[in-house]
Amino acid sequence: MKRPTKLLGLTVTAIAATALLAGCGTVGETGGATAAGGSDDGVFRIATVSKVEGISWFEAMRTGVDQFNEDNGDVVEAWQTGPDTGDPAKQVQIVEDLIAQGVDALVVVPNDPQSIAPVLKKARDAGIVVITHEAPALAATESVDYDLEAFDNAEFGEKMFEQLADQMGGKGTFVGEVGSLTSETHMAWYNAGVAYLEANYPDITPVSAQPYEDDNDDSKARDNALEILKAYPDLGGFIGTSVSAGANFAAVLKEKNLTNIATSMLSLPSVAGPYLEEDVVGSAQAWNPAGAGYAANAVALAVLQDQAVESGNDLKFEGYDDVTVDGKLITGAAILMIEKGQYPGGEYPF
Amino acid sequence: MKTSPFRAVFNRRSTAMEKYLLAIIIGYIVIVALKNPLFFSVETLFDMLRSGSGVMILAIGVLIVLVSGGIDVSFTAIAVVSGYTSVKLMLALGIDNILFAFMVSIVVGCLLGAINALIIYRFNLPTLIVTLGTASAYHGLMATVLGTKSFPTGAMPQSLVNFGSTDLIVINSDTGRYGLTVFLPIVIAVLVLTWFILYRTMLGRQVFAVGSNEESASRLGINIFRTKLFVYAYSGALSGLMGIIYFSELKYVNPVSLVGTELMIIAAVVIGGAKLTGGEGTILGTILGIVVVQLFQSTLVFLGLGSSWNDLFFGAVLLISLGVMYYRQRIQDRKNLVFATA
Repeated sequence: MKRPTKLLGLTVTAIAATALLAGCGTVGETGGATAAGGSDDGVFRIATVSKVEGISWFEAMRTGVDQFNEDNGDVVEAWQTGPDTGDPAKQVQIVEDLIAQGVDALVVVPNDPQSIAPVLKKARDAGIVVITHEAPALAATESVDYDLEAFDNAEFGEKMFEQLADQMGGKGTFVGEVGSLTSETHMAWYNAGVAYLEANYPDITPVSAQPYEDDNDDSKARDNALEILKAYPDLGGFIGTSVSAGANFAAVLKEKNLTNIATSMLSLPSVAGPYLEEDVVGSAQAWNPAGAGYAANAVALAVLQDQAVESGNDLKFEGYDDVTVDGKLITGAAILMIEKGQYPGGEYPF
Repeated sequence: MKTSPFRAVFNRRSTAMEKYLLAIIIGYIVIVALKNPLFFSVETLFDMLRSGSGVMILAIGVLIVLVSGGIDVSFTAIAVVSGYTSVKLMLALGIDNILFAFMVSIVVGCLLGAINALIIYRFNLPTLIVTLGTASAYHGLMATVLGTKSFPTGAMPQSLVNFGSTDLIVINSDTGRYGLTVFLPIVIAVLVLTWFILYRTMLGRQVFAVGSNEESASRLGINIFRTKLFVYAYSGALSGLMGIIYFSELKYVNPVSLVGTELMIIAAVVIGGAKLTGGEGTILGTILGIVVVQLFQSTLVFLGLGSSWNDLFFGAVLLISLGVMYYRQRIQDRKNLVFATA
């Protein structure tokens, strides 16, 4: 029994090491120079909480937060943190930790706006300024000071469908795929887009009354793409409102060497870029997470400094230089069209 | 007496469950083909073989663990962690070779599986609890040490992209090109190897024995530790193998995907006739279980149904098939005057 004992020791060491590493953050909080201790030297401490750390989208947002921190270093200490998985409960835990640390403002990109609303309310009650992003529903509640949206959702959807109609020459059938039929933003884009087609391009029709769903899952999106191409041999176009939908449809088009189907999608420069270069994808659009991070922090600072937040404000980032304020909802004009040839040498920002 | 072709190949009778599943599969295919004749094509078959390859390999790992009397829920985490470790290492070292990718991933998977076995055996803990714990620990360790940055097609090792696009047979039609995936021979090799181990080696008999009754197996002189070490290391190695196939198939490396699909795969294997109480399960049943899942998953567009229908179909088949299976067992037991609970 000598060997098993040795192995046991190794195992215990391994588990201990795992626990130690995993225990660095209270609840798997990763990244972020969590400034501990409340040294109050007249500097506003603003924490940005992402949906999930480590993925390229929120890494890009971090660059915006860091830039804001640099630009306003004399009055602000701004940093970004977030859960290691997109788990709403972990995000709530992190927000509670930050409340306990006594930060001055919170910028939150909620995984689930409804479930995080009570704890945001708690933060506000504790005198913390709360700004959310990608949660327009919260703008009507007491849980936030302001919600910042990169653009008007209807406009974003219309843009996406306009690109599709252009490529299709104004006629034909298309398939739509969303992350989920219950996703507020995806459906807002899709419905606005369909209404736009009905008004402007009546000869373009969807193949199904409702768009298909992929649950933001790559395997499922891939299965859907394969099936859609077989089930609709005369398909003219494809609209994807989730990154998985567009990326996997493009991958399948490339594999099957199909070039006669128009595509317009939500994507990231690093995902859609190569497909745009090869003309597999017709059009891709996004918004720059760095801009959202920067602008949301700028709003937080404005509130902390008792400055007016009103239409026409310049939040000092491209797309947010002339925002629209409606109640607690701030809207920018930051639609980012990902263009062919825009990123030479495959240097994608996110 | 005339031997059926099934018996000639498998050297045994087909189980009731296998016949029942086969009937479901054929019935379902007929319904879909009637509803939408475009479904019935070689292209559909080839596409399904490709998208089913990864889960098939995972399912075989699940089968062997179930047969040994355990339940492992860490295999998807092991697949992602092994695959991602391998990809990260390739990018760091600048080695862009598919064999290297598989080697690293399989070794890591094997090690993680072995750790599972060690903890389960040494502390004599329930397998479900241990693997629930290790699944989080492995994934958390990866997230803290390696990060969770995803790599799109352009940024991941190109050998994986090329491997995922490799076809054994390529067919060009007016609706685009399609082919028979290179994953297929790997899956067949895994099936044959597992069949051989389970039914043609002493080790395989020991896995069944341990699963049926660990105490009796131990008294027979079977080395429980060595058997379990094999079971979990083998399952881990298969997960590692799948990790690379998974990333190659999607041509996208996303380390926060896949985890969360494990119960669906375990359910498919259980539908295939493997018992949660151990000691029972067949490779053919597992294949049929996965075919059922894969069929439901990739026919909704043809049927014009939303994705919630997939869950409904699957849940219904799971409940009905298990209900029928256990009911028949009870009738059989009563006839034989067996009153055991399991």
